[in-house]
Amino acid sequence: MSDYQSTYLTLSAILFAIGTLGVIIRKDAIVVFLSIEIMLGAVNLAFIAFSRANQSAEGIFMVMCVMAVAGAEAAIGLGIFVFLYRKTGTINIDKFNLLKW
Amino acid sequence: MELIATLICGILAVGTAFLVIFSKNTVHSALWMTGNCLVLAVLFLLLNSQFIAILQIIVYAGAIMMFILYAIMMLNLRAGEIIDIKKQLFSKRFAILFLFFIGLLILGVGLSPMALKGDMAPGAMASFGEVNLIANYIFVQGLAPFELISVLLTSAVVGAVFLAKRN
Repeated sequence: MSDYQSTYLTLSAILFAIGTLGVIIRKDAIVVFLSIEIMLGAVNLAFIAFSRANQSAEGIFMVMCVMAVAGAEAAIGLGIFVFLYRKTGTINIDKFNLLKW
Repeated sequence: MELIATLICGILAVGTAFLVIFSKNTVHSALWMTGNCLVLAVLFLLLNSQFIAILQIIVYAGAIMMFILYAIMMLNLRAGEIIDIKKQLFSKRFAILFLFFIGLLILGVGLSPMALKGDMAPGAMASFGEVNLIANYIFVQGLAPFELISVLLTSAVVGAVFLAKRN
């Protein structure tokens, strides 16, 4: 019944790596944001897999916390993107070197 | 049967995730991300957690992706940047990422037998993921984090309004 736990964990690792790849190679801020969402989804999958293996609701509660944090992150992050776009006219993350000396 | 469904959903999840990254159009990326969220919801259903699957569809595929598409519409992006995939993939960064991925894979697969040592009673398996068990956990043991999440969401809303109002 549950001897393919490792399938879910491997899938979670692959999805997390794809999200990291997207964060590294893309320059569009929205796509970087979507890659972060992929990584959060991968972590949710691992949480649910472990939660089912251990028959406890703690992983499910943690997934709900992650979803709430993702919602807050979407609100603030997209607000920042719109603000930056109004200021500079682009959301290419290579153009934002305000904190770079 | 369940394994076949899991494998198909896994392949779909990886494929949609790759399409999110390598789509030239940002709107296409967002739409593929919606597909990825739906496939993840099916995977949650296969893991017997119906409540989280529904929540995934409502919160991710419904609210957050609608929000992102709305933001893309507001930003009026014409063409995405041209990504030189070959040049990017064979750089040093990709080597570092590949090592990281292999490490995660070994960790994940290597640690899973430890997670499987728990008791797997079929009766407990059937009721796992039902709403009353989750609600019992949230409102008995997880009450303080639950209230903290509400504070976090309120502050996020205030921050978003502040960002929008400043100019």
